[in-house]
Formats: sequence, C-alpha cells, structure tokens
Amino acid sequence: MVFSILLFVRLSKTFIYRDIYYFLSKPFWPGEYQQEILRKSINQELNIKLNQLEKDNLRLRLLLDLQNFSEDNKLNASVISRNIGSWWKEILLNKGSQNGVSNGDAVIGPGGLIGIVDNTSKLTSSVKLLTAPNSKVGVWNQRANLHGLLIGVGTKNPKLFFYSKNVDIKIGDYILSSPASTILPPNIPIGIIQSIDNESKPNTIATVNLIAKPEAIDWVQIFRMRY
Amino acid sequence: MKFYFNQYLTPISFLIIPLLIHWNPSWFSLMGYQANWPIFWLLPWALINGPFKSMLLGFLLGFILDTINADLYTQIPGLMICGFWFGKIGSLNQFNNNPIQFGLTAAIGSLICDLIYFCQMLIRLLLGNNPLWFFSHGVQIIFAQVFLTSLLAPFFCKWLYFLFSKKYKLKI
Repeated sequence: MVFSILLFVRLSKTFIYRDIYYFLSKPFWPGEYQQEILRKSINQELNIKLNQLEKDNLRLRLLLDLQNFSEDNKLNASVISRNIGSWWKEILLNKGSQNGVSNGDAVIGPGGLIGIVDNTSKLTSSVKLLTAPNSKVGVWNQRANLHGLLIGVGTKNPKLFFYSKNVDIKIGDYILSSPASTILPPNIPIGIIQSIDNESKPNTIATVNLIAKPEAIDWVQIFRMRY
Repeated sequence: MKFYFNQYLTPISFLIIPLLIHWNPSWFSLMGYQANWPIFWLLPWALINGPFKSMLLGFLLGFILDTINADLYTQIPGLMICGFWFGKIGSLNQFNNNPIQFGLTAAIGSLICDLIYFCQMLIRLLLGNNPLWFFSHGVQIIFAQVFLTSLLAPFFCKWLYFLFSKKYKLKI
C-alpha cells in the first residue's frame, strides 16, 4: 500500500504536492501592493525612456533644421467656456495675450490636438476646434507616410482628405500633425481613421475619430508658436 | 435699489445675453445643443416697444453677438427681421401672453435667425468650392435650437415680459 502511494507520487512527478503548495501559498502571493510598486517602476522606466527619446528627437530636429518645441513654449490653461453645440465650435481659455498667447497657437488636450487659437483678448483666448466647419489642418498618416487635409464638418468626426485616389490608408491608422509642419507642433496625435469612403472620386476621403474630446476637457496646453 | 433695477433693467438684461452664450449652461442644453438666447430677450422687449425700436435693438444685439465669434457670418439680419416681426405682433395687440404663443413665436424667430445664418455658411462653402459636408449637421442644429427655444421660451419670455411691462407701468 505504502509502496504503491510512493510509486504514484514518483510517477505523477509530484503534481499533487505542487497543487497542494498552490493552495497553501496562495495567501502569500505578491498582491496589489507589489503590483503597484512594479507599475511605478515600469512607469518611471518608460518616462526616462520617453525623455531620452524626446531629447534625441529634439537634437535630430535641430540637426535637420526642423521646427522644434521646448517646454518653455508650453502654457497650461483651463477651459472657461465651451461653445460646442451651436454654429460655432470653440472653447474659451483663461490665458490671453497677457500670457503670450497669440493667434495660430496650437492647443493640445489629453489625447492630442484639439484646435488652434483663433483670437485673443488680454485675459482670454478663443480656440477654434478641429470640428469647426471651416477648420482646415494639414495632417500626416504615420503608417503610410502620407499627408492629408483634415477638414471640420461640424460633427464630432472631421473628414480627412487625400489628394490622390487609391492611397494606402486603413481603418485604425493614426493621424498626427506633420513632422515637418511649420504651423503645428510636430508629431502631435490627432485621431484615428474610423471609415474610408472608397466611392469618392478623384480623391480619397476618410472619417476621423478625434482622440482628444473637447466636450470633456477642462485643462489644455497651449503651444506658443515662435519662429 | 428697486428703482435702479427697474431703471436699468433693459441695458443690464441686454448685456447679460453675451455672458449667457459664453456660459452655455448645460442644464438648459439638449444633447449639447443650446437654445437661441437672444430670442428670449428680444421677443418680450419687442412686444412692448413696437417694430422699429425693436429692429434697431435687433441690429445692436446682432452687432454685439457678432463680436463673440470672429467669423465672417453675421446674426444682424436675422435679429433685425425678428425684432421687426415681434414688434409688429405686439403693436397689433393680438398677443395675449399665453405660453403656447410665446413658444411658437420664439420657435419661428429662432428658425428665421438660424436659417439666415446657415445660408451664409452654405454660400461661403459653395463660393470656396468646398463640399457641403456641413449640411446635415446644420439642419440638425436648426431643429435642436428651434425645439429648445420653443420649449424654454414660455418661461424666460413670460418672466422678462412681466419685468419689462412692470417697468413701463411704473413709467420709469
């Protein structure tokens, strides 16, 4: 009897012991606290890598004589008025010409670009959103390395206009500001291609889902465009 | 205090309209769309003051409101037509201040203003050879604003009509 038990344990390669150990050790496994520590470490590692990449990017852009942005050009502002559900698609920020904001400055919210400063007063600045009917912004499809024009149509989803037919774009492609743009800060995320209208001729037109949602954003960053 | 309030009721309430448009209170909006705020003020004022004064006030109101949005379109013609029409209704003495009349008149006024504004946008898009992608959204805005304006007008217009008429009864 004892021998048969020992033989069974031997042949089963101690899976019973392992399973018992599983239940016994379960209360002592690394819990939420350890996960939190790991998450913090990973975040720190990613932040360091991101900073390093940004510095590299800045250095390379300087070498190529392309437009670059430093932290000094960024300004935090809060949204004090939202005029989205009417003819005008714009928001009002609590920073104006007194803070160095001027027409044409790019406004970025959590998620990416939301609009361009349209006019300023001493204390406030009005931002025309990308969804505004006469908003036009040059953008870049990262995967296909293609430039297009993002046109606001009043709805939450602006149209992306490519000047040629049969361009290599796919649903889910990321749309960013052009790396060579002189009007917008380079490589700022804007949206994701939601649908493609293949029937349109002679151009290709896509609908874009914007990443930043102005209806829910309370704080933004103004990128002061200085040449 | 009450005397001053009555005396300056018109200019104070007039100057509050742009602030209301900036504020855009969410509890008075429908699916993000907001009501046509100038109509709430213009309708009761015009009913008391007649067509020509109201047309002039419509011009001034549009003049002020156009400065909020730095675009090429104007609200002046719509508000002038509404001012004249509201004033004409008031001068005919056929307006008996019931909520349905306020709601319907405000809805038609909002439709006039929105249609004129929308036509300006369409003309600009057509002149610039731009596609009319904005058309369906524009129609949606018009319907939403007309509905919301007609829904809120009986409260706001009646209240302002009461305040304005009280002021004139006091002959201040």
